Amino acid sequence: MDIKEAKDQKSKVKGSIDNRIGEVIKAGSAELTAQCYKLDEAPPLGCLVKTQGKPGDIYGVVYDVETQSLEPGRRVVARGEKLESKEEVFATNPQLSRLLATDFKVLVVGQAEGKSWHYYLPPRSASIHSFVYACRPEEVRGFTQSLDFLSLLVNARILVPVDEVVGSCLRYASLTHTDPHEFLIKAGKELARLLSNDINRLNSLLKRLR
Amino acid sequence: MSLDLSKIIGQIVDLAANIKQKETQRHSRIEFALRTLESAAADVNALQQRVESSKTTWLVAGPKENINLRQSAKDCYPDYLAVASDGSHIDVDRHQSAHCFLINIGMAQLQYGLSPDAELFSFPQLYFKDDDVVITSVDGRKFPIEGQLLGIKRSIEECRMLIERLEKLESPLPVITLLDGSLILWSLTEQVYPDFVVHELLVGGFLKHLDELRRLGRKRLLGLASYISFPRSTDVVNLLRLALCPHKEVDCDRYCSGKFSNRECEKVGGLLDRELFSQLLAPGERSALFSSRSSVIKKYYGANEINFFYIRLDREVARVEIPLWIAENETLIELIHSAILDQCRRGLDYPIALSEAHEQAVVNVADRQQFWNLVEQVLGEGGISVNISAKSESKRARWI
Repeated sequence: MDIKEAKDQKSKVKGSIDNRIGEVIKAGSAELTAQCYKLDEAPPLGCLVKTQGKPGDIYGVVYDVETQSLEPGRRVVARGEKLESKEEVFATNPQLSRLLATDFKVLVVGQAEGKSWHYYLPPRSASIHSFVYACRPEEVRGFTQSLDFLSLLVNARILVPVDEVVGSCLRYASLTHTDPHEFLIKAGKELARLLSNDINRLNSLLKRLR
Repeated sequence: MSLDLSKIIGQIVDLAANIKQKETQRHSRIEFALRTLESAAADVNALQQRVESSKTTWLVAGPKENINLRQSAKDCYPDYLAVASDGSHIDVDRHQSAHCFLINIGMAQLQYGLSPDAELFSFPQLYFKDDDVVITSVDGRKFPIEGQLLGIKRSIEECRMLIERLEKLESPLPVITLLDGSLILWSLTEQVYPDFVVHELLVGGFLKHLDELRRLGRKRLLGLASYISFPRSTDVVNLLRLALCPHKEVDCDRYCSGKFSNRECEKVGGLLDRELFSQLLAPGERSALFSSRSSVIKKYYGANEINFFYIRLDREVARVEIPLWIAENETLIELIHSAILDQCRRGLDYPIALSEAHEQAVVNVADRQQFWNLVEQVLGEGGISVNISAKSESKRARWI
C-alpha cells in the first residue's frame, strides 16, 4: 500500500484533528519529545506516531512515557491518604491538572516523501510545537509493510530497554495486518538478519513477539 | 569570598541558647496576657470607651465583638470558587541602562464541587513610559515609582487584576477572593510622600478598587479578604496594655513619658497577637473581629475601613483582614472563615489558591538576570548603546 492509498483510507475514517495527541516540545534528528494535551493520555509504548516535517511527515515509535511536574523545582507529593480514589485527589485539588504534564519520547524511524516512505533519519528534524498524531491502523499497516525501520529501532541507544520497545512496536503493528502471525514471522526473520551476531539478544527478542 | 559559616556556627549555638532561655519567661507572659484578656472581656464596653478616649504611642485594635470570642467555622460551601492574586516585581535598577520596572501578577482560580476546575495564569507588564514610571501632580511635580512605592503599585495591580477576573466570571457559585499581605497601606503615610502621591495610589488606586469590589459584591456572594501568614502585629496585645494601664485616662505622653521597662503595661510588652491567639483559640476557630485604628485608615479609608480577625490553623495563627462592608455581613464572614480553613486544609496550612497565585507570580534571581540580559540584547539589536554601571559589570565578571 502506498502513502496516498493509506491517506485516502484515513480521510474516509475520521478527520486528523481527532487523533492529534500532543505537541513537540523537544526536537532532535533521532528522537523527539512531545507533550500530551491531556494528562495520562499518552499513546502506548511501541505506538507509531507522526509529526509534520520537511519534505514530508516524520514517523516515529513511542519508547517512553513520563508524567511529572511541569515545573522542575516543584515536587509532586502524595495527597490521597484520606481520600477514596485517584479521581477524588484530582477533584479536591483541581489545580493538579494544570501543574502536571504527560510527555512521551519518540524514536524517529522514517519519513514520508511523495507517495512512499523512507526508513532512515530525515534530513531535518521536526519543529518545536509541531502537532503529533497517532497513526491510524491503515497507516501503520502501510508503514510496516517494509521492515527496514527495524534497523533504526534495534540500534537505538536509549535509557529504556530497547528490546521492550521493539517487541511492543511489532506486537502493536501486527494487529493492523490481515494476518498478524505471518507479519510477526516476517519481522522475526528480519530481526534474525539484523542480530545474526547476537543470538542471546535475538532469542530474548523473539520471545517478546509471542 | 562567600559567607564563612564556620566562623558563625558558635554564635548560632549561642542564639539558640538565648531563645530557649527567653521561652519560659515568654510563656508566663502569655499566661498573664490571657488572664488580662479574660478579665477585660468581662466589661468590654468599658474597654471600648477606654480605647476611644486613649492617647497612645502604639497602635490599638478597636474591639467589634467580645475580645475573648472563640468562633468555630460553619461548614464550607461544597461548591465554591477561590480566586487569588499575588504579585512580584523587578525594581528599577539604577545600574542598568534602561529605566523601567516589571510587575508580574499571578492568579489562580480554583473551582470545587460538582465541576472541579482550575485556571492559573500570569500577567507580566513592563512599565517604561514617562507616565508609567513617575507620578505627576497637577502642577507638574514628579515622583518616581520605585522601591517601597513600587511595592504599593504592585498591590494595586493585584487588586485591579482580581476585579478584571471577577467581572468575567460567569459561574453563579459563591466566590472567595484572596490577596496576600495587608490591606492597610500604612507605609504610604509612615514615609514622607507628597500628598499627590498618596492620593494617586490610595484614593485613585487601591481604595477605588476596593469600592469596585464592593460593587461586584452586590451582584453575587463574594467574600474578599487578605491573608497574612505569621503576622507580627501587636494591635490586640496593645489593647491589653490599655486594660492594664493604672491611670484613669490613658495618655502615654502625659504619664509615662521617658518610662519604658517599668510601666505597668510592659507586663504584656514584647508579645505578638499571634502568640496570644495560639493559646486562646482551638484549631479552626477565629478570634473576635477588631477594627484597625491606623492613622492611614482614619484619614483615607472611609467605608473601606479595615477590620481583622485571627484564625488558628494546625501549624500557625494567621491574620485575616477584611473591609468594613464585609465585616458587617455575617454571611460573608462565615464564608471567608470556612473557605480559608478549607483552602488551608487543601494546602500545607496555607490557602492553596494564594499559594498557586504566588507560584505564577514569582520572579526568582535567575529570572531577574535573564530579564536584564534580554533588555540589553534587544537594546543592542536596536542599535541603542548599552551603558551599565561599572559596579554592575564588576559583580558580573567576578574577576580575581
